[in-house]
Amino acid sequence: MSEFKVGVISCSGEECLGGTISRLATRKVLEELKMVEPVTLCLPLYLAGGKEERNFARVFPVISVDGCHQCCAKRSTEKYSGQVSGAVDVADIIGEENALNTEIVRNKDLTSEHLRMIDRVAEDIVKKIGNISPDAYSGKTFHGCGCSEK
Amino acid sequence: MDKKVKVIPCSGIGKVFGFMAREAALKTVYELCPEKAETVCLARIVTGDQEVKEKIEGSDCITVDGCPKMCASKNVTAAGGIVIEEIKVLDTVKEHKGEKFGSPSQLDADGEVVTGEIASKIADRINEVK
Repeated sequence: MSEFKVGVISCSGEECLGGTISRLATRKVLEELKMVEPVTLCLPLYLAGGKEERNFARVFPVISVDGCHQCCAKRSTEKYSGQVSGAVDVADIIGEENALNTEIVRNKDLTSEHLRMIDRVAEDIVKKIGNISPDAYSGKTFHGCGCSEK
Repeated sequence: MDKKVKVIPCSGIGKVFGFMAREAALKTVYELCPEKAETVCLARIVTGDQEVKEKIEGSDCITVDGCPKMCASKNVTAAGGIVIEEIKVLDTVKEHKGEKFGSPSQLDADGEVVTGEIASKIADRINEVK
């Protein structure tokens, strides 16, 4: 089992394109990244009594992925589990006008241009994961070889 | 002003059922009942966003949840929304045993069909109250 877990929490906002892209880019990283073990965390579970989700984010580094400048995923994570190790704001990458597009939200409406946006956001998530300090893992694992446990 | 019914899915990211909840909700508000329904970002509800809280409080809401943890329903209720219907994706999925629904980011043909059925249930409920 990989010691190098990292949580990726997306806002998955339903009202605009940015939320859809945050969700799909997060899934893409989860399915394709092999060097660490990314784990997605369900944002709504934070308030619905998701102790496992909150505890994971307290123990492992977390990257938040937000579809707009409201930064709901980042704010929620920091409210319940401490500082995020990196924050991706989709609006900064694809432009605010695109992110706040309320006409194209469903997967079936996405064009090749939108798929390229997803790739760019996924690349930024991977970059943020790569920038996580090794110290973020140190002494923070539940199990493993034992040398890293507090 | 006659408020639209708020259709709020969990959009769970770990399994296909969360995606089906999301797609069913969006199909309802964009295709089936655009004049009577709208969606609101669950993440904004979770953060306690004041603007969203005012929008939700006292409003008729239909929640769509992909797993038994019922995150959408719990969070909407906590925000003061009136949940007139809790749609559980798994209730409809149980009627389609053995079928493949797709992944958390892409629905297969069976997944599209079941999602359409869920959307119809949501739309029926909306039409009852509007």
